[in-house]
Amino acid sequence: MLLQVQNLQLSLKRAGKFISILDDVSFQVQKGETLGIVGESGCGKSMTALSIMRLLPDKAKLAGEVKVGSEVISKLSKKKLEKIRGNQISMIFQDPLTSLNPLHTVGKQIEEALILHTNLTKKERKDRVVELLKEVGLPRAEEMVKEYPHQLSGGMRQRIMIAIAMACRPQLLICDEPTTALDVTVQAQILELMNKLKQENDMGIIMITHDLGVVAEVCNRVMVMYAGKVVEEAEVNELFQRPRHPYTIGLLEAIPRVGERKRTLGSIPGTVPSPQNLPIGCRFADRCKDAMEICRQAQPKTLQLTDDHRVACWLYDERREDLKDDITRNQESKTTLSH
Amino acid sequence: MGAIRFIVKRLILMLPILLGITILTFFISNTIPGDPARLILGPKATPEGIERLREEMGLNDPIYVQYGKYMYGLVQGDFGKSTYSQQAVSEDLKRYFPATFELTLFSMFLTVLIGIPFGIISANKKDKIPDQITRFMALTGVAMPAFWLGIILLLFFYLKIGILPGGGRIDSWVSPPEAITGMYTIDSLLTGNWEALKSSLIHLILPGFTQAAVTIGMITRMTRSSMLEVLRSDYIRTAYAKGGSENRVLYGHALQNGMMPILTLMGMTFGHALGGSVLVESVFSWPGLGRYAVNAINYLDFPAVMGVTILIAVLFITVNLIIDILYHVIDPRLKYE
Ligand SMILES: Nc1ncnc2c1ncn2[C@@H]1O[C@H](COP(=O)(O)OP(=O)(O)OP(=O)(O)O)[C@@H](O)[C@H]1O
Ligand SMILES: [Mg+2]
Repeated sequence: MLLQVQNLQLSLKRAGKFISILDDVSFQVQKGETLGIVGESGCGKSMTALSIMRLLPDKAKLAGEVKVGSEVISKLSKKKLEKIRGNQISMIFQDPLTSLNPLHTVGKQIEEALILHTNLTKKERKDRVVELLKEVGLPRAEEMVKEYPHQLSGGMRQRIMIAIAMACRPQLLICDEPTTALDVTVQAQILELMNKLKQENDMGIIMITHDLGVVAEVCNRVMVMYAGKVVEEAEVNELFQRPRHPYTIGLLEAIPRVGERKRTLGSIPGTVPSPQNLPIGCRFADRCKDAMEICRQAQPKTLQLTDDHRVACWLYDERREDLKDDITRNQESKTTLSH
Repeated sequence: MGAIRFIVKRLILMLPILLGITILTFFISNTIPGDPARLILGPKATPEGIERLREEMGLNDPIYVQYGKYMYGLVQGDFGKSTYSQQAVSEDLKRYFPATFELTLFSMFLTVLIGIPFGIISANKKDKIPDQITRFMALTGVAMPAFWLGIILLLFFYLKIGILPGGGRIDSWVSPPEAITGMYTIDSLLTGNWEALKSSLIHLILPGFTQAAVTIGMITRMTRSSMLEVLRSDYIRTAYAKGGSENRVLYGHALQNGMMPILTLMGMTFGHALGGSVLVESVFSWPGLGRYAVNAINYLDFPAVMGVTILIAVLFITVNLIIDILYHVIDPRLKYE
């Protein structure tokens, strides 16, 4: 197992009060596997990623365990964590326009990762930077080394971000909506590049996205989050064909028809409860068509339905055994969508 | 090259500004009531004597003729003769300016060395104890009158514990270094005169700190607000994600990005330091331009007033030109227009 995240609890201070942002988030990533994380804006996808790297805002309270290989990194000191960031675990962010330092050359920014984590000589580093630029498919690599981010297009800058992330051959690459800010053709190229790099390096990838098209294209497994909790996780085909959680079902239904260009997560009626004001029961209950009495009274436990499918929903709890069959049938008839 | 053309253009633009400054200063100082000739000759002067001296000094000419004559001399590098010291103004400037310039440079040096790291710490530890301490100190520095701070420092370090000298530029038993720039510390460095270096440095400490107190406070506050903005940027998070240490990110990425407003303020602060040296120079008996300028005004010594004004204006404009060039050095996105 490459990455094991267990019982992540995160609170952030807002207006003088600590509010819970992540609640009991657990998941795993294997070598050579891509885990997708999806969910509406504000559900805590980015915070999950940043919790792994411990790049959280000031005054964050984080509990739980993060294990990389056999090393528990959630207990490491700041100094030791710095050795892991950008080395064993790298991260790519959403907006390539603002994620690069505007005052440093491209070469300098890639080289910095090598300075921090390798013992290469200056000459070796320079060669390696050019190699990396070529590897991420950038033309005229030798000249680009001396250029500044503002001289490059969005797609090129995201490739530079990938080159920085790949500089030390990380075991795990965390991508927070890496293609959202790019246009469609460039998106496809970047995803292709990431797939290629994953295979060549046997990395694990966490892919945070709004785009179910991206999920279908690159992910092996998908985790669905809602208001700071994991509501469902399954192998990618399983999830698309047999979504269990009413929220997941809603997300999939909200996909526009095939042929429409954008396949982003659509909207489900109602709004997400604010982190300051979470219900005691299931957090989705207020928007859920199948909500029952118990859903508003207690939080559902996470149930392992099959080896590669888990869900946190009262509908599937054994205490609701009698209802289970016809609800599932009901859902399967609704979800005629394939991908 | 863009840079060279930019500098030349800016230097040419300096001329009309300087012309404007000479006109303003000349006409304003001539509206000051009082008669320089009478001041020079003293209370026992006869009206005839005064009239003769006025004629001699050209004070009876219409004011635009006086200005024309002054400018005619100026373009030939002649600042005229000081009516008070009876010396060429250029000689006086050469004598007093290096002391002021040295003090100003030293206080700017302290400002940068203390103000910027304080501002960075303050921003990085926003609302925590280090931030509160530096903010309090910055506020104190800005709010404290320089002459008062100077006197307090003198009382304590000179009179009470006696570890620092009470004034002047160098100990009386140490001979000043051979004059190259006129700045004692630099000249003694250049000539390898360690005794003079030590003595002149020690003499710089108290006046330097007194003068820098305000500017340290201003730069700290500016650095803090500029850095707060920068530290929220995505590229700062990228730098941490790469594995950069806090110091590396703060000083290797953030500072440079937050430098523009700090530089701008430094340009203004430099003018402030030059102009504000009068009080500090009096408290620490620093033989500089500030005291010379005050005397010049008291004795209606117009050529001296003009000389000081022009010199400070040139310096101020030059410093701001240098800062403009630094903007371009720091930020590759800027184009020389
Ligand atoms: N600096 C912060 N201080 C306090 N709360 C924050 C901070 N940043 C984010 N949050 C809150 O944390 C919650 C989770 O945010 P997060 O950025 O992880 O969402 P997300 O799923 O990545 O959304 P998106 O799809 O819009 O990127 C949100 O409720 C957000 O308001
Ligand atoms: Mg996000």
